[in-house]
Amino acid sequence: MTSDTTAENRRVPIRLRVNGSTESAAVPPRLLLSDFLREGLGLTGTHVGCEHGVCGACTVLIDGTAARSCLTLAVQADEADITTIEGLAEPDGTLSTVQQAFADHFSLQCGFCTAGFLMSIAGELEQGMTEPEIRELLSGNLCRCTGYQSIVEAAVELAGTREA
Amino acid sequence: MTADDVDDVGTYPDYIVINKPVNQRPLRGDVVRYVGAPIAAVAATDRYAAEDAVEALAATLEIDELSPVMTVEQATSDEAPLLYPEWGDNKVVDLVGDRPEVRAALDAAPHRFTETYVVQRQTPLPMETRGVVAEYRDGRLSVWVSHQSPHIARTTYAMLLGLREADVRVVCPRVGGGFGGKTHVYSEEIVVAHLAMKLGRPVRWIEDRAEHLVASVHARDQRHVVDVGYDDEGHIHAMRCHVICDVGSGEVFMAGTCPSLVSGGVMTGSYDFPNLEVSTTCVVTNKTPAGAYRGFGAPEGVFVMERVIERVARLVGKDPNDVRAPMILQQSQMPYTMPGGGRIDSGSHQQTFERVIELGTEALQRVQARFEDDPKVRVGVGYTNYVEPCVPTYFATTGHWAGYDAATIRIEPDGGATVAVGVAEIGQGMVVTTRMLAADALGMNLDDVAVVMGDTDRAPYGLGAWGSRGAVVMAGSVVKAAEVVLDKARVIAAHKLEAAAADVVLEDGAFTVRGSPGGTAVTWAEVATAGVIRTIELPKGLEGGLDAAATYEPYALEHFPDESGRIHAAATWSNAAHAAVVAVDLRSGHISIEEYFVVHDCGTIIHPNVVEGQIVGGVAQGIAGAMYENLPYDPETGQPQFASFMEYLVPTMSEIPPVQTEHFESPAPEMPLGIKGVGEAGTIGPPAAITNAVCFALADYHLDITETPVTPMTIRAAIRGSKDRT
Amino acid sequence: MKPAVFDYVRPSSVQDAVSALASDPDAKVIAGGQSLVPLMNFRLASPTLLVDISRLDELDFIEVRDDKLCIGAGVRQREAERSVVAARSCALVAAALRWVGHPQIRNRGTVCGSLAHGDPSSELPAVAVATDAEFIVRNRTGERVIAARDFYLAPFWTALEEGDLLTEVRLPVDTPGIQSSVREYARRSGDFAIAGVAIRGTSGDGTPRASVGAFGVASAPVRMTATERLIESGDYSQSALDDAIATDVPSPTSDGQADGTYRLELLGELVILALADCGGRR
Ligand SMILES: Cc1cc2nc3c(=O)[nH]c(=O)nc-3n(C[C@H](O)[C@H](O)[C@H](O)COP(=O)(O)OP(=O)(O)OC[C@H]3O[C@@H](n4cnc5c(N)ncnc54)[C@H](O)[C@@H]3O)c2cc1C
Ligand code: FES
Ligand code: FES
Repeated sequence: MTSDTTAENRRVPIRLRVNGSTESAAVPPRLLLSDFLREGLGLTGTHVGCEHGVCGACTVLIDGTAARSCLTLAVQADEADITTIEGLAEPDGTLSTVQQAFADHFSLQCGFCTAGFLMSIAGELEQGMTEPEIRELLSGNLCRCTGYQSIVEAAVELAGTREA
Repeated sequence: MTADDVDDVGTYPDYIVINKPVNQRPLRGDVVRYVGAPIAAVAATDRYAAEDAVEALAATLEIDELSPVMTVEQATSDEAPLLYPEWGDNKVVDLVGDRPEVRAALDAAPHRFTETYVVQRQTPLPMETRGVVAEYRDGRLSVWVSHQSPHIARTTYAMLLGLREADVRVVCPRVGGGFGGKTHVYSEEIVVAHLAMKLGRPVRWIEDRAEHLVASVHARDQRHVVDVGYDDEGHIHAMRCHVICDVGSGEVFMAGTCPSLVSGGVMTGSYDFPNLEVSTTCVVTNKTPAGAYRGFGAPEGVFVMERVIERVARLVGKDPNDVRAPMILQQSQMPYTMPGGGRIDSGSHQQTFERVIELGTEALQRVQARFEDDPKVRVGVGYTNYVEPCVPTYFATTGHWAGYDAATIRIEPDGGATVAVGVAEIGQGMVVTTRMLAADALGMNLDDVAVVMGDTDRAPYGLGAWGSRGAVVMAGSVVKAAEVVLDKARVIAAHKLEAAAADVVLEDGAFTVRGSPGGTAVTWAEVATAGVIRTIELPKGLEGGLDAAATYEPYALEHFPDESGRIHAAATWSNAAHAAVVAVDLRSGHISIEEYFVVHDCGTIIHPNVVEGQIVGGVAQGIAGAMYENLPYDPETGQPQFASFMEYLVPTMSEIPPVQTEHFESPAPEMPLGIKGVGEAGTIGPPAAITNAVCFALADYHLDITETPVTPMTIRAAIRGSKDRT
Repeated sequence: MKPAVFDYVRPSSVQDAVSALASDPDAKVIAGGQSLVPLMNFRLASPTLLVDISRLDELDFIEVRDDKLCIGAGVRQREAERSVVAARSCALVAAALRWVGHPQIRNRGTVCGSLAHGDPSSELPAVAVATDAEFIVRNRTGERVIAARDFYLAPFWTALEEGDLLTEVRLPVDTPGIQSSVREYARRSGDFAIAGVAIRGTSGDGTPRASVGAFGVASAPVRMTATERLIESGDYSQSALDDAIATDVPSPTSDGQADGTYRLELLGELVILALADCGGRR
């Protein structure tokens, strides 16, 4: 049986890649990946909007697929390869195609949801997806500002299924 | 830190004269009136540890449960426990309309009906919750806060914390949405600032979603009891309407009573409807305080008016649009004063209405064809017209602050400009709009204009982002300041061009002499260098510096009601018509919005994408209110029955349909550049349009919806009920 | 919304995992964390020890053995959804998974995690009940097999006991001519169902047969035997179907989202739609 005091002070060493660089840290088991990224690494582009998996603002790529960083413990990301919004653009600041499409289509207003949408698209959008498929795919990301239309337009363009 | 530890902090003022005072304390002590009321604050080195402490603290609390007041009926019953015993009742506002001519018209009308309409509780729900970081250093308090009105926040902090206003700096960087909820200056902000001062170190509080759902303002929660008189032609002679709003505990600054006044004030919106009498009661209950939310009372009022129209149409066997048509405002009637005193300055009410009928009629046929083969799906179209009050006075809402805003422009030595304004960016595009407008006013490139807002140290005192006012008051103040700067710039240019200032024109970023194309030109950079740093180049007697400050308030705006309670509280009025085409599945009750149209008029459009984004985003929130979101409480225990996004159903991309917009542009005659507002417009129409469409679709079942949200379950129940009757 | 303190181990074998589970009565398995972490963030669950089984190679398999599709507890929902083996041998699995949350959730959540969690609105437990699946359960003292019909006791309460690890689920494979369908109704895309049904059926030339599992309508997934018998009778009217459903679900769930009457109405419509998907008549 683990006594509470030891559990409280327990730190677990983790080592992971974040946006291409290797990070090592000793983290409490209860630290959420979202908090590790934001507070531990200062990568505040990952936003936190609900901490129960519904809003999608915290979406990052874990080993290449989109996942909720608020529902992942930092210890579970040990040895993983993480990409956050900070890792999407080129090092010289050139926007990725996904980001550029959002800029072109005015797909953001306040921008709070944007990183989550971009990561979901980066991880899960497949070429040739139809608009209904795209809407279903991105239903796990909430936006309160745009009414989604401009986001759908960007995603449809990215999937290459724009109707002529 | 508990209530006792904030003894030295002030009590929120109760500015609004029509409200009974609630004496809101930053932390609540002996009486706690709603789940979510702040009673204690714990500071720790991180949020995890703080939550551990809160959990431990909660276990030690001694609580006597009182019996709660959860509904309007409970609040107004004779045996009701009183939230504020000193009031003698639970009514924070009680305004009785008294228009004998309306009653006479009602009595004279051939037919009458009474009905109660209900609009549920919602919350503005920005995706970014609230957040505060405060630091007290060298005698100055700095607060970074997710807020819509930085200066008003500063004034309130200074007042409650007993600081000189100049010693408080409020910064609102990149606010992640507000929608009205962040206009209020909340207890948590005061508590965090106070803690920072006591502890001598920075303190941060980021609201989590569970907190947000109970601690940030709710809104709507209205019922309207109407008495309507009409005749066989479908002419509505008169209406009495009692607006009753459940404002929760009322402990919020600014108070949340004003939306209900707007509901009554704008409900007849696009219609020529003189015979309206409105009474307004706001009751307090043991729920989260209600406050501002996009639409600010208009969606509720418009929902009621449009449902009344549809009821009359059904009773007399007419197409509802034939009931609307004779009432729709004509251009020749402008300016038109509504029963509540709001003076509609201009608009295209008839054109938007006619155009949306064309769009809706075509779409109805398309959608009917789509579902032709499915006997279990019924299709319908629904319409609504409305006006959006823009650039309102804040005085009626706050008892403080009126309707103005401010700008300063400083031309920099390199010929660029720094434009600082008192309005705020909350994601609605105010920075780009300001930059475009200022560049235009100053004859500069977009890239040469730097915009400053949301920082009380750097921006002039202004009132922030609310009330669909930003573009107008920003433009008014920027244009005025730009004129001052330009006048001086022309004098400098004239001196360099050896011409008269009156002959100097500014085109394509250069000053030239009028009528001499291709002649000598002086650039903005040359004028600026002379004006700011090489002042030896200035004409004799002209002093250095190229900057100006200006404020702007629409002159006709009224801040007090007249003796009959009428007030022209908003300076200009956008208008719109919506059409929704829905397909209702009789099996599941599922409502699918197949097509949605907005024909809109917000006067001169500055930035089309910003306008489009505001309308479409607003419609999505309107749909959320029409069909999805609700905040029910357990009537016995007072416990919220919503704890998360699993219960509070914010619609996703799969539920929000594409929205098609079209525009008319009726410039506001009295506003700078003819601009009106667009921030709240989209939100107003959907509850009415969608409900009307659903009732059209289910005409066979004689459905008459009087309550939102309209859900599949309520539709199934209605279908079942109608089967049982036949 | 942060979890309370707990300790964490990532064992390297199933044996170590069950030992760890036995070491603390308040220990819990964490697989994908997609149900457990939200509960912990709300502090509705505060286990003192988490045993992370998500990387045990031993449990990472999807394969057919003895006419059963066997899915190990390490398999993520998204893998199962895309698995060719699963699609060929038990089409209901993929049909159900596309309704489970969102891809971002399924990328982490596991099949066995959903089965063990026992949410009555979940799709997979109804699939298990409809297909007579078997649950393979290990603890420090050994292994046992629990039939799906004995597994679900009440909302979030299963036959799993302290120290138990669900290592694998085995679903009887589709026989030739089998058609599968999962239908559900929720207010928003990706939400838990208000009502839903999983049907595996044959129509073909012979007697129509169907195995029917319902979810979202009762305190546990329901095997709808009365409905199945009616379908086999080959001749059913709307009112007979309504009666059969009412027999199968005698006390439907009633909550803020939907009352019991509405849930049963929905279920009736969904059964008809799913039967049509399976080639049955409408
Ligand atoms: C936004 C959102 C939407 C969702 N929508 C749906 C939906 O529509 N339908 C649906 O079915 N689910 C839905 N889910 C839940 C999701 O499918 C979960 O992934 C699943 O229920 C649990 O799987 P997991 O691997 O994540 O388990 P965990 O969260 O790790 O564990 C869940 C519980 O099961 C126990 N457990 C897990 N694995 C085992 C095991 N092998 N042996 C013993 N006990 C075990 C844990 O101790 C815990 O009590 C949703 C989740 C979210 C966040
Ligand atoms: S913060 Fe992770 S899904 Fe909302
Ligand atoms: S842009 Fe504000 S939430 Fe999406």
